[in-house]
Amino acid sequence: MSTLLVLREQMQQIYAKYSMYIIKALQFLFGILLFGAINANIGFMKSASSILCTLGLAAVCAFLPLLITVIAATILVIIHLYVLSVPIAAFTVLIFLMMYIFYFRFTPKNAWVVLIALLACIYKLPVIVPVAFGLLGGPVFVVPAVCGVIAYYLVHLVKLSSTALQGADAGGMISGLMTFAKQAIGNKEMWTMVLAVAISFLVVHAIRTRAVDHAWKIASAAGAVTAVIIGMAGNLALGLHISYIILIGSGVAAVLIGFVLEFLFFSVDYSRTEHIQFEDDEYYYYVKAVPKVGVAVPEKSVKHITEHQGQETVAIDLEEIQNKAEGMPKGIRKKPVQRKTAGNSREEREKSTDEILLTRSLSKELGLDKEKQK
Amino acid sequence: MTRAAIYEKNRAEEDLKISSYYKKDYASLHTWITLVWVTIGYICAAGLVVFCYSDSLLEDLNFAKLFVIAAVAIGAYLVLIVIYGVCASGFYKKKHNQAKQRVKKYYRDLSRLGKMYMKEKK
Repeated sequence: MSTLLVLREQMQQIYAKYSMYIIKALQFLFGILLFGAINANIGFMKSASSILCTLGLAAVCAFLPLLITVIAATILVIIHLYVLSVPIAAFTVLIFLMMYIFYFRFTPKNAWVVLIALLACIYKLPVIVPVAFGLLGGPVFVVPAVCGVIAYYLVHLVKLSSTALQGADAGGMISGLMTFAKQAIGNKEMWTMVLAVAISFLVVHAIRTRAVDHAWKIASAAGAVTAVIIGMAGNLALGLHISYIILIGSGVAAVLIGFVLEFLFFSVDYSRTEHIQFEDDEYYYYVKAVPKVGVAVPEKSVKHITEHQGQETVAIDLEEIQNKAEGMPKGIRKKPVQRKTAGNSREEREKSTDEILLTRSLSKELGLDKEKQK
Repeated sequence: MTRAAIYEKNRAEEDLKISSYYKKDYASLHTWITLVWVTIGYICAAGLVVFCYSDSLLEDLNFAKLFVIAAVAIGAYLVLIVIYGVCASGFYKKKHNQAKQRVKKYYRDLSRLGKMYMKEKK
């Protein structure tokens, strides 16, 4: 455990030192995963779904705020859908517009949560979203998380019905749009997952903020179990086909991620918990103090010992010893060093000779030698 | 100095703009804007629902059914407007308070910095 804690501290130090590069690299990776997933699922426009476009978008978005990544992903989705069918693109624009009006106008900075939720759903790990954001975020994160789930099911539905939507005439487009809109709004699987994510999120957040021991662990497990149970209940009650493997697998992954997040952001020692009670004029206070676990990283000092330096230090030591033994004045100490440097090469010897001659001539001109004699 | 520089880079522009308003003016202006946006959003949502379920809505349409539909639509709109109005008012008041506090702190930092410069000059 102590090794892990030291590792965490080292990671923190590395992050503090290279945070700018790490953030950019993570943003780039996030961009590749996101744009790659969008292009792989609904890449109807060939030029926009190329690997070059994915990498280019990811590279550009890495140097811009996360909000720009959100806007870029939205535009990419709409472009792909526009190529597939104009009414479907218009419908998607309407859905995104409603998301913006009802939530993202207030906190546009939380918009990236939508993308994380979308990615988690695309990679078949939906339960991770409520557990991770319930542990790390506030209750308002539930809205973007739910929006991410809705966006995923929209994309998924487009992917499934793309062949039916592709080659339709004007009349077929309208009827296709009506069918699509009905399917999108009345998608029971989507609403079940929305409910699972929302309730699981609130469970995680409610437990995490309680003053109970191991609150984070309990919250992670409870959140994952809640989401899995709601998913299963939806399957049984509504006759849905949500994969049990995905539900349970993502539940297990969510618990593991919860443990990792606890270790990284909330490592405390519950065995040293203290309960304190005191009062002032107006209140009684019942305080529970849980100490944080902190480990000082052992500092390694590296000494560079080279052959050359070793000789030099030995020479100086000998000289000092000799000086002390002979009782010589301090001014003559440098003599052996000069001898040593003079012995290095012919060029250096010539240089030192020049320097000595220059010093002598200068001291003669300025009359410094006379002053010394006096 | 570092704190002031970070603030200047990240939030100063927005905060200074917000704090140039009185709290009441800022909150009411943005609440009205929110209500306009919510109306647009509601029209979109209602239009979408009508479009999707137009066949079942228009089926056996009579005055009573139309009245019920209109009542539900208006009732839902009013509920939405009230909820968003209250929430937006509270949200923007809080936002104004926070911005004002940050600006206050920033000015305090600047004045401290100014004093330090004066001392150095002397």
